[in-house]
Amino acid sequence: MRKTKSLINNLDWPLFIGFISLIVFGLITIYSVAFNEEFPNIFSFSEKYGKQIMWIGIALFMGIMVFLIDSDIYKKYAFPIYLATLSLLVIVLFMPPINGARAWLGVGSMGIQPAEFAKISTALLLSKYVSSLNMRALSPTNVLLALLILLVPMVLILLQPDAGTFVVFTAFFFVLYREGLTFDPFLLKFVNLIPKVRFKQTWLGSHFIPILFVFVFLSIITLLFGERNIPLIPGLKLYGSVGIISTLFVLGAIATFFVQRFGLKRAKSKAQLIIILCFILGSAVSLTVEKSFGSLAQHQKDRIELFLGLKEDPNGKDYNRNRAMAAVGSGGLLGKGYKNASVSSVRTNHVPESETDFIFCPFAEEWGFIGSFSLVTVYIFIIVRILIVAERQRSQFNRIYAYSVGMFFFYHFAVNLGMNIGFAPVIGIPLPFFSYGGSSMLSFSIMVFILLKLDSQRRHVLR
Amino acid sequence: MNIENRRYVIIAFIITVGVMYIFRLFYMQVIDNSWSDRAHQISEKRREITPPRAVIFDRNQTKIVANKTYFNLMVIEDKMGLNFDTLAFAELIGWTKQEIHERFAEIVKGEGIYYNRHNNTRISNYQRIRPYPFLKELTKEEMAKIAPYLDAFPGFFEEETSMRFYPYPNGANILGYLSEVNAREVKEDKFYKPSYNIGRAGIERYYEKELRGLKGVHYVVRSALNNDVKKYEDGIYDTVAQQAPPIELGLDIKLQAYGERLMKNKKGCIVAIEPKSGEILSMVSAPSFDPNLLVGRKNVSKHYPQLLKNEDKPLYPRPTQAEYPPGSIFKLVQSLVGLQEGVIEPNTSFACNKSLVGCHNHPAPSSIERAVQYSCNPYFYYAVKRIIQQGKKNSVFKDAAIGLTLWDKYMHSFGFGEKLQSDLTGLRSGIIPNTEFYDHWYGKHKWAFSTIRSIAIGQGEVKMTPLHMANLAVIMANKGWYYDPHFAKKIGENPLTSFKKHQTMVEEKYFEPVISGMWRVVNEDAGTAGRAQIEGLDVCGKTGTVQNPHGKDHSVFIAFAPRENPQIAIAVIVENAGFGGTWAAPIASLMIENYLMKDCKHPEKEIRVLEANLLEP
Repeated sequence: MRKTKSLINNLDWPLFIGFISLIVFGLITIYSVAFNEEFPNIFSFSEKYGKQIMWIGIALFMGIMVFLIDSDIYKKYAFPIYLATLSLLVIVLFMPPINGARAWLGVGSMGIQPAEFAKISTALLLSKYVSSLNMRALSPTNVLLALLILLVPMVLILLQPDAGTFVVFTAFFFVLYREGLTFDPFLLKFVNLIPKVRFKQTWLGSHFIPILFVFVFLSIITLLFGERNIPLIPGLKLYGSVGIISTLFVLGAIATFFVQRFGLKRAKSKAQLIIILCFILGSAVSLTVEKSFGSLAQHQKDRIELFLGLKEDPNGKDYNRNRAMAAVGSGGLLGKGYKNASVSSVRTNHVPESETDFIFCPFAEEWGFIGSFSLVTVYIFIIVRILIVAERQRSQFNRIYAYSVGMFFFYHFAVNLGMNIGFAPVIGIPLPFFSYGGSSMLSFSIMVFILLKLDSQRRHVLR
Repeated sequence: MNIENRRYVIIAFIITVGVMYIFRLFYMQVIDNSWSDRAHQISEKRREITPPRAVIFDRNQTKIVANKTYFNLMVIEDKMGLNFDTLAFAELIGWTKQEIHERFAEIVKGEGIYYNRHNNTRISNYQRIRPYPFLKELTKEEMAKIAPYLDAFPGFFEEETSMRFYPYPNGANILGYLSEVNAREVKEDKFYKPSYNIGRAGIERYYEKELRGLKGVHYVVRSALNNDVKKYEDGIYDTVAQQAPPIELGLDIKLQAYGERLMKNKKGCIVAIEPKSGEILSMVSAPSFDPNLLVGRKNVSKHYPQLLKNEDKPLYPRPTQAEYPPGSIFKLVQSLVGLQEGVIEPNTSFACNKSLVGCHNHPAPSSIERAVQYSCNPYFYYAVKRIIQQGKKNSVFKDAAIGLTLWDKYMHSFGFGEKLQSDLTGLRSGIIPNTEFYDHWYGKHKWAFSTIRSIAIGQGEVKMTPLHMANLAVIMANKGWYYDPHFAKKIGENPLTSFKKHQTMVEEKYFEPVISGMWRVVNEDAGTAGRAQIEGLDVCGKTGTVQNPHGKDHSVFIAFAPRENPQIAIAVIVENAGFGGTWAAPIASLMIENYLMKDCKHPEKEIRVLEANLLEP
């Protein structure tokens, strides 16, 4: 009795309400998209909305189970759980492929994707390992071991192949960055080889991860909006690097204005320098990527374009991305109204996978900018809230795990929405708690309920 | 930087992405319209619904042009599935398996190839998910044999279309036909899309805009498979297709059918006009054909080349385009001009001097009446000489030029030498030679009446279409005026008033003696057209025999009846049939009798005409 009461008192309600609202809006959207006039009842289990309700029920049940289990076992059994999911990842490679990937375990529609659960087990083991390290005296071996924990499941997932989940695993690099576990030890080894140099840390090594991600992001945007494709700003017909550089210039000018107007006096010149450096670096990256892409051989270009979803498929149809963007863009300010999605409903089927990976399309089409603004806000709120929850943990294990969950959310959100608005290549990963699908619903629920459970017991943990 | 502060780097990174996404979404959804346009392009389709063409009635409210429902057997290859039984399907439609494969190849080929400049590839426009007509223009009966079994062949379904149907196998030269629009027509008029039909000849062509109706437009939301999902915005922008109101013609389809029957195995034409209104009652072009032969793509491609190759030229609209010298019927006009000019009197007499111009044996032409009755060639030589050479100049050449210019004006007032205004296309003007014509030929002031005398009796350079000849009969009947000869009477409930009345330069009083002559032609023993006589009807007529340098002379006859308050004016030309009184006159009289008496009192006359085969072997 006391235990239940403490759970209710200690549960992070903002986060819980955030998740519930995502689930509800997801269900409402699935009901609209997959609506079948013959089975108008939302509880029709033959239809996707009925099935989603079933999955929500199962997910809640799993959540209660998670709450009932003592949270200590996650740390205690992190390694066995990790090994178990690894073996599942190996077994799945011998299953018959569905849609060209050996990703599913089980029969028919009731299958599960081990890769989804590998995210949780990897997060647990990484948390356990990193929290055991002495952060003040990191050795390259520590970094290598941490990377090994990530790379084994990543390689197995790539063999399926499941590019989406593979990309999501790179979210762990942000976690490592937060914990100070970066490539700095390697870089220092080289830097300190120079005579009379004795650095404790390098700026590039410490911030290698975020810098790398900005580079990757800029490169992808440059190629996605490259020439003979969609212009970055349609009215201005700015393509590729020219578009990026002019956008960066405008952003830089705005940032400069704010720094000069509101910045602290002593920080002004430093901030200005950083802005200029960012602009030059960004432009350089964008130009380099474009030039080097241009100098590639045709078959290499083809491969990259295929990955980015830029290549026309043999049927001569348009890109998924183009269709998805048309659906999102046609929503306008207020949207077309509930159940009025004309481009992305399953009945018209212009946007494939519009109830799973492209579910943002019908949502944005029906609810317009008001809806998409709200949804982005809710996601950003949830992600930031998870990071705030993470930071208030006393145990490093809890914090690392919470960071992993937060970054997964961020990745799924950023990539999934990004492909709907043309900012990311078409990689099939679902929108958490929103997309139709059992595996994603279950794995995210378990992941989140473990987080909520750990958080509710944060005071029990002694420093 | 302190490691604890890295949390801010990450949070800043996340919030930056969120803000960027919001800006991007705001831009895409609110500011930039191009995505919305793209969405319309992808998901909506403007479907145009073409109404059936307007129907056409004749003067007795008999439907002569209607529409009939036909079916296309459509196919969507993608829906055929893997277990499609091609052999059974071939059996159902009575084809071989090979023919079915060939038909598919033909459809794919017909769609053409799209060349993508960017990546240098060629892709067929054919799409497996789109419906294409597999069999076109099946009749209800043909479809009924196939339809019950279509369930066994997924991907095949029927689609209704409407095509022309002509209840009477007559009047093909008047009604015209439809065929597919060409690229220029699609470009010029937004109404048409490729594969639409357009009127190609006759009434169907002239009244195309009145017949085609108002298109309806439906906006639908379509799926990626190009199926209609629902109406766009519940159909508030949709309009209904409207069939145009029916057109009523002055044509009498029974008379037309009778005329075509009479002209069987003959070449030539009949044009009959109601004198007081200018409405064309019948316009036979022989040989004729059934207008149903040119309905639909299948029929056109089968029959059109056959009709085109036929040596007797059934597609040639003789009544409006064939130009014949008018022959002796022209003497009526010459008499009128002479009387009006005062160069002859009704009682003027000339000797039948056969040394001037050949003539047949007949009593002396003691007056205009008699001259017309006997069709005396020398008489009109003298008469026309007086018209042309009025002695206004000393030089016979200059005098002739003045005279011919005057005569030319008279001719144009009769509508000769110019295109008559009508609701038909492709009318010919015929030829009335004027001074320029002869100056060009002989040199200025180097010709006189003696040079051009053959025009006096309607031979030589003078040429007229049968419509002109019928119009001459109208002018005779009306004593000096005519309406533009035309077909359409009413569009819907509105009578057409655009047809003008024309006055000739000859006063009414001068017509009486000439008409008396015409009466004598038919009703007196010494007349040239005794065969045109009808008991109880005062038929007035004039024969003509047109010299034909290529073969036997053409037989010509014009007439009107009754003499008082004329109801019908008619011209008949039978090619290579010799003297006008022999074949043209009896055919004209049978037509008049059929129209005015509704029966035939001289079956032996009818049988003689029906049995005659005047086609050159």
